[in-house]
Amino acid sequence: MALKYAYHPGNVAHSGSPEVAETMTPIARTLGLTLTPLEGATSCGAGIIRQANRKLQITLNARTFAMAESLGLEILTPCAATAGNLQEDLDSLRNDPLLMQEVNDILSRTCGMTFSGDTEVNHLLHVLVDEIGLDKVEKLAINSLNMRVAGYYSPYIQRKGACGEDDVHDPEYMERLIFAIGGTPVDWEGRTTSVGTPGLLSEEGTVLRQAAAVLSEAKEEGAQLVVSACNLSHSVLDIYQGKAGRSSGLSTNIPVIHLTEMLSFAMGHHNTRFAQLRTRVAVIGD
Amino acid sequence: MSEGLPLLILYGSQSGNAEDLASKAAKQSNQLGLSPVVKGMDEIQLSELPGFQRVLIYCSTWGEGEQPDNAEDLWQTASADGAPSMAGCHFAVCALGDTSYEFFCESGKEWDGWFEKQGATRLVTRLDCDVDYDKPAAEFTTEALSHFAAVGADGVYIEANVGSATNDSSTDVPQSIEESSESPEEVELVGAGVEELLVSGDRSLDILFGSQSGNSEALAAKIAKQAKSYGLEGTVHDMDGFDFNTLAAKKRVIIVCSTWGEGEQPDNAEDLWQFANSDAASRLEGVHFAVCALGDTSYEFFCESGKEWDGLFEKLGATRIVERLDCDVDYDSPAAEWTLQVLPNLAAVDSTGLFHEDMVDSINQFASGTSGAEGEDGFTVPSIETESIQVEVSVFRYDPQTSSTGTDTWACVFPGEASVLEVLRTIKSTHDGSLTFRDGTCDDPSTVLSVNGRLILPGRVRIDSITSTRDDSFKIKIDPIPGSEVIRDLVVDHWALERKRESSDPWMVASTREGFQTSQGVMGTMKPAVATRLHSLTDYDSAPLLHASSDAVPYANGFLGPAVIASSWARRCDPRTAPEKKEKIEGIIGSKNGIKAETDLAPISRREGYSPAISEGLLEARTRALENDSFNGLHGKHVWWYCWTIKSSGKVNDTVLYRQVLGPIGLLGNLFSGVTARMVLGFTRTGGSILNDFLGMVAPPAGIGKMPRQFNSSVDDHHQVVAIFNEMDGRF
Repeated sequence: MALKYAYHPGNVAHSGSPEVAETMTPIARTLGLTLTPLEGATSCGAGIIRQANRKLQITLNARTFAMAESLGLEILTPCAATAGNLQEDLDSLRNDPLLMQEVNDILSRTCGMTFSGDTEVNHLLHVLVDEIGLDKVEKLAINSLNMRVAGYYSPYIQRKGACGEDDVHDPEYMERLIFAIGGTPVDWEGRTTSVGTPGLLSEEGTVLRQAAAVLSEAKEEGAQLVVSACNLSHSVLDIYQGKAGRSSGLSTNIPVIHLTEMLSFAMGHHNTRFAQLRTRVAVIGD
Repeated sequence: MSEGLPLLILYGSQSGNAEDLASKAAKQSNQLGLSPVVKGMDEIQLSELPGFQRVLIYCSTWGEGEQPDNAEDLWQTASADGAPSMAGCHFAVCALGDTSYEFFCESGKEWDGWFEKQGATRLVTRLDCDVDYDKPAAEFTTEALSHFAAVGADGVYIEANVGSATNDSSTDVPQSIEESSESPEEVELVGAGVEELLVSGDRSLDILFGSQSGNSEALAAKIAKQAKSYGLEGTVHDMDGFDFNTLAAKKRVIIVCSTWGEGEQPDNAEDLWQFANSDAASRLEGVHFAVCALGDTSYEFFCESGKEWDGLFEKLGATRIVERLDCDVDYDSPAAEWTLQVLPNLAAVDSTGLFHEDMVDSINQFASGTSGAEGEDGFTVPSIETESIQVEVSVFRYDPQTSSTGTDTWACVFPGEASVLEVLRTIKSTHDGSLTFRDGTCDDPSTVLSVNGRLILPGRVRIDSITSTRDDSFKIKIDPIPGSEVIRDLVVDHWALERKRESSDPWMVASTREGFQTSQGVMGTMKPAVATRLHSLTDYDSAPLLHASSDAVPYANGFLGPAVIASSWARRCDPRTAPEKKEKIEGIIGSKNGIKAETDLAPISRREGYSPAISEGLLEARTRALENDSFNGLHGKHVWWYCWTIKSSGKVNDTVLYRQVLGPIGLLGNLFSGVTARMVLGFTRTGGSILNDFLGMVAPPAGIGKMPRQFNSSVDDHHQVVAIFNEMDGRF
């Protein structure tokens, strides 16, 4: 029986991370996921809108929840930042009936909709492990990853109530997934550490040092590849890794791909890109 | 008090375990008419030993089979030439050790052999204990003492007298219920039948708790304590790790169980519940039971777990002694009433499993008649028994003299309820005395450590609640907290945090006092909601823990950190603070080392050990700082333009953000630093339309690519987004 979800692609899948959008479609088909795009959903706020106005971000996300509820579906997203922010706001609404009433009043006036709190937010990683099952993922993987891979969770989904049955502080879902598709998971501390993405444009120096520490640790632990569960962190770990390395003096050169790309390669989609990745793994590094 | 038979109890101890056993043996020996003298091996001369006819030894082993420090000198003297004869002396040795070492219990073996060689008589075969020594040592002590009591004043051991020694009624040891019920007054009060019932045979009461938040556990402990008044020996068991099939031999069982989520068993009960429902579960005929279910009526599956246990026990043949109690969140009073009903009924079950209903009233009388003695007879809160676990403990090590770092790993066995701090103490005392960590009380904030990725106060956290079970083995990885300089091993320098706190100018400058006029001056008042909020804003166990919860702290030089900012924000929100002081605090919070230096609040909000109100307070502080700057500067522009792009299309527009926040100079910087090249080429990422990527380049300053589009398409029903913005925040 197909699993059906309301799909939120994350904040930057439409712009800075097109590869996530491109790889999500084929793997959903292979995994038997039926995704209904939330075409009206806004950005989750990335924890930035709430810095200006917390209730504004909560209300925008409540509108997204209301849309999912109207479809009778739970939300699925491949972005950890989006999953984490949506979950945090969902919890705030559920735990504060007065806030929910206030937000519903606004939604009713502005959008003609209300929200009851019935939907759930899921990250792709947790759906893979808890709903689909890694045994099925293993059977669907036709290309063995055959690399030492450091899985990067980011801190956003590693919070109570937002990471399925996984351990909040000592997770293993990503490592189990990597193992299931033929990779060798690397054990490292930085996998749940923030790389400071929300502060990239304002505290670049600190963010570069944070990113450099995470990337260099992955390399020191023997990783050949970093796989990110977060679209936003992915951008920092990839685009800024050269600058981070130069500013910190640490070795940071390592390919970084998104979780959906890894799955897509393992399941036989985008084979040429997988070949490019193998080449990059072979030539990038010290 | 009559003079008993002298017994020398010697201990050779490194960590205190042997000394503890010696003390316990001394108390126990009083009841057998013995007169114990407890001495450390460094408190006695070898020449004094032949003067004792009874010598009981507890001795641990240190390092590679060495005597513990306090035994070393005595052993050197004893093993030298000219040691005295011990003929006429009777002895027994309990050796403590660790099977993971090559020379297991070596010291105890040496003393055992020495006494024999010197002509002493071994009364009981030596016991060699592993790290989990409590039970075997207790059994050994009981047996050894009964033998020592059979050695008469003339030094002759009469085996037939073993076990016949009677309790010395003149001892100072608290009387057990069996003993106290022998008093004629109580016999008269409750009658001989009740007395006989309450002191005969097995009087055990097993109380199992299934707990998510600790309420069931606390209630179970209360019931166990109360059970003593009914002649029952209550033992509290954590459902986690409990062997269900041992219940078949029990006579009295109480289940206290909460319900979790959508009618689910609490985490610590899940495994037992699964087993109890399997074919391997034993029948429970002969067991009398009662169930107290904790729940919340606002949930659909109210008290579901307790109901399930109640039904299962009945199904397995057990007898319900009192109807199940289903408690709502305010459970104290109904649970107390229920307990008063359950305990006399369970107490009326005799050791054969027969229920004497006619005696329940008498037992109630008995309990009320003896309740005045509560607290005087010295009974203690029962200990919670959990299974011992074999755990691999990895500890970060740092030697400042050689600047070397590494990890040491020990394989140990600990009771599940042992705290992380107790584990460290044990390792230090038995394995590696050089291990350095901050010791203190369980709530000492300076003891904070990182254990399996969690920031915790190690005295408060049980190892069975934090062990990682990866690869089917239990592991604990202990590191110093991040963000502070490591002094040695697990000890970090907290002074850096203290200096930051000082720099936040944490002095109170009070506003003019307002309130009620009284004869003694103005009495200030504060609304309860304000007081609660102020408390919540500083409700953390440990300032170093909160400080370390920020992932930016280790990399942002000068950043005050969340602990300092949270307390500053609380003072800012305190109505008693003078307005000029509030302004000054806002200046500190909004400075470059204030809240703006925090790159990401998510790592703080996901941690435990402090109130969620703290991360909310930090967010409020940040909002205030941005508003005070009128959304200028990099931080303000970032937030303002992010909101603006969402209002414009519903989606974030990276191009606009980069252009507006960084400006032309920042974009040029990205161009020359290679950032833009990576954006365009997707340097390590894969795929993407190259044409789309280069579109950004032809319309500079496009900002970033895997190029985002210059203009976003809008989300469906975008007018709704605009309406929400207009309704809630007209600034954007």
